[in-house]
Amino acid sequence: MEKFIIAHMYPALMNLYGDRGNLVCLKKRMEWYGLNCEIKSIHLDEKLDFSQIDMIFMGGGSDREQGLVYHDLLKKTDQLMAQIESGLPALCICGAYQLLGSYYKSHEGTVMDGLGFFPLYTEGREGRLIGNILIESEFNGQKVSVVGFENHGGRTYFSDPKLQSLGQVIIGHGNNGEDQSEGMRFKNLIGTYLHGPLLPKNPTLADFFVYAMADRKGLKLEKVLDDTIENLAHEQVRYKMISGQKS
Amino acid sequence: MQNIRKIMAILAGKLLIVLSRMAGNQGTNFPGRLALKIYPPLLKELGKNTYKDTFIITGTNGKTTTTNMIARIFRENGSSFIHNQAGANMLPGITTAFIQQTDFTGRKTFDYALLETDEANVPLLIAQIKPRLILITNFFRDQLDRYGELDTTIKLIKEAVQGTDIELLLNADDPLQVDFQNQKGLKYWYYGFDASNYDSFTGAESREGRYCVLCGHELEYTRYHYAQLGKYHCRHCNNQNPQPNFIAAELLMDPSIHLQIDKLLIESPYQGFYNAYNILAAVSLGKLAGIQEKVIQKAIANFQPSAGRMENFLIRGKKVILVLVKNPTGLNQSLAMLAQDSAAKNLFIALNDNAADGRDISWIWDADIEVITDDKARIRRVICSGQRSGDMAVRIKYSGFGIENIIIKPSLEEGIGIAISMESEVSYILCTYTTLFASRNILARMQKKYPAPLQEKERTPEKAL
Repeated sequence: MEKFIIAHMYPALMNLYGDRGNLVCLKKRMEWYGLNCEIKSIHLDEKLDFSQIDMIFMGGGSDREQGLVYHDLLKKTDQLMAQIESGLPALCICGAYQLLGSYYKSHEGTVMDGLGFFPLYTEGREGRLIGNILIESEFNGQKVSVVGFENHGGRTYFSDPKLQSLGQVIIGHGNNGEDQSEGMRFKNLIGTYLHGPLLPKNPTLADFFVYAMADRKGLKLEKVLDDTIENLAHEQVRYKMISGQKS
Repeated sequence: MQNIRKIMAILAGKLLIVLSRMAGNQGTNFPGRLALKIYPPLLKELGKNTYKDTFIITGTNGKTTTTNMIARIFRENGSSFIHNQAGANMLPGITTAFIQQTDFTGRKTFDYALLETDEANVPLLIAQIKPRLILITNFFRDQLDRYGELDTTIKLIKEAVQGTDIELLLNADDPLQVDFQNQKGLKYWYYGFDASNYDSFTGAESREGRYCVLCGHELEYTRYHYAQLGKYHCRHCNNQNPQPNFIAAELLMDPSIHLQIDKLLIESPYQGFYNAYNILAAVSLGKLAGIQEKVIQKAIANFQPSAGRMENFLIRGKKVILVLVKNPTGLNQSLAMLAQDSAAKNLFIALNDNAADGRDISWIWDADIEVITDDKARIRRVICSGQRSGDMAVRIKYSGFGIENIIIKPSLEEGIGIAISMESEVSYILCTYTTLFASRNILARMQKKYPAPLQEKERTPEKAL
């Protein structure tokens, strides 16, 4: 059986709000597809050959923790960006998403450099954007509803309008609460503010990563998983948001 | 004039307590808040009416159960005492407790004051009332505390007791409490567990790295009692568990708790390792207060779990256990507890996302739900209920539990009905905050409507409920 490795970047530092659930989800789904998946924890100062792994996952952390991670990642940027360019699946949530941009400016005015992978930047404001969020995205030519929970002080803006967002906000705040955009996409990378965790009740997104990983190994997935429970959970919170908005 | 204001504040407070009770509210915070507005030194003055000792109980988990156990010990001893109710553990709530029990002139005296409060509130409370001793149950970091708030809180407590003669009663197994002993001039006592058959030797997957509070290096454990509580040492600075003054040994959970605290045999209808800690803490405090061992023993044996902190019902001859779960640590503890119960069981979990539950339900992914798939836990079915029953069901599915045994019923009534009527020896009803009281009412009604067979009644001391 082919073995897949997902690198969980800095689990001790960047693991807020149940985000590890995304990994639980990917590992289980791959198991159900008949694939063997190992989650490999990568800590500060640990060497990692990005060409030997199938996906990276990174969650959010506090400012101090993000600073530590930034300095560690800086040593790895060239190789990491090259892999992302060649289609390495990657899921970056909240703080990890912000790190992909050029900088993060806190609302007290402190500026922290980002990795500068994509033309976006984040500015902290007072008042966090918190709550359930519903966005509309597109996968394989199909419109897909995505649900999650956002909780962020930073407002993210694209400095190049050609950058693709993950989706359009239907209910909630998204990148900045102003332009209806949420998250970003580039090849097999997704950056997003969505906790929840994101993947378990958005099986289309989970499978986007599973298929991308399999595809890169030249594997075809025949099996279709039963997502009744996942879809029910998705509909339950989607309905709650839509009916809450009407009232 | 001062005296008149004080009497007015007490009168207004007492009146409000009565009125809000009549309106069906618990009447816990508002009366105290108003009384403090009328007469700000009220709490400080009423706090002096305790002529033996004032005890403050704090910590992340277990403080309500521990405080209630101590209250039971004092009651058994025939002592008079002030005790604030759960959920009213900030200054206004504590003031309400004093107003309620004092007389109109505010002069009535009591043997003890037993004040439960949040960690962050300890410095504020000490500024009003000087206690003899502060009991700390444990310090847990959960997902809400990744920003170092707990570190700040611990520092504030340390600063507040610095240079006073306040005693501390601390958990020797909690690595976050060890650095109190570096404080000069403090009197501290420790309680802790001996090795037990329920210990584990590896940390759970989601367990955070536990770091030495003295030097920041990772701690090594020879055994875990639960969560970060256990026998640890730091290779780097030789920090290790302090020697406890009160040691619990011979722990047996069948599933009710039996243990020995320095040769004193203790039995309790409570279940779970975390409750064994609550018992140890309460007994240690009872001993420090000078209460006779026999009285302590009797009080703990007769102390029944109450409203949602593990309440037992008997419905159609089946034992039904109601448990409140609020956060990943609490959920882990409850699951570990029910896994120790060898009876075949149905598990009902209700998850709501109202403000009091927390709008963000992602914390269920920070809990080690995977223990329910262990054959020894003997879980037949999991019934997911509440506003976010779907999310709970997804979490259960991804723990590896078979989907054919996962049932989703958003309605509490229907879900509980299924958990009880489907075949099993016992049913566990786990509830987040806003599903607790509704579930409790449903269970109480069912218990009344479907009386239990006689032979079952005999083995449950809760039949009087």
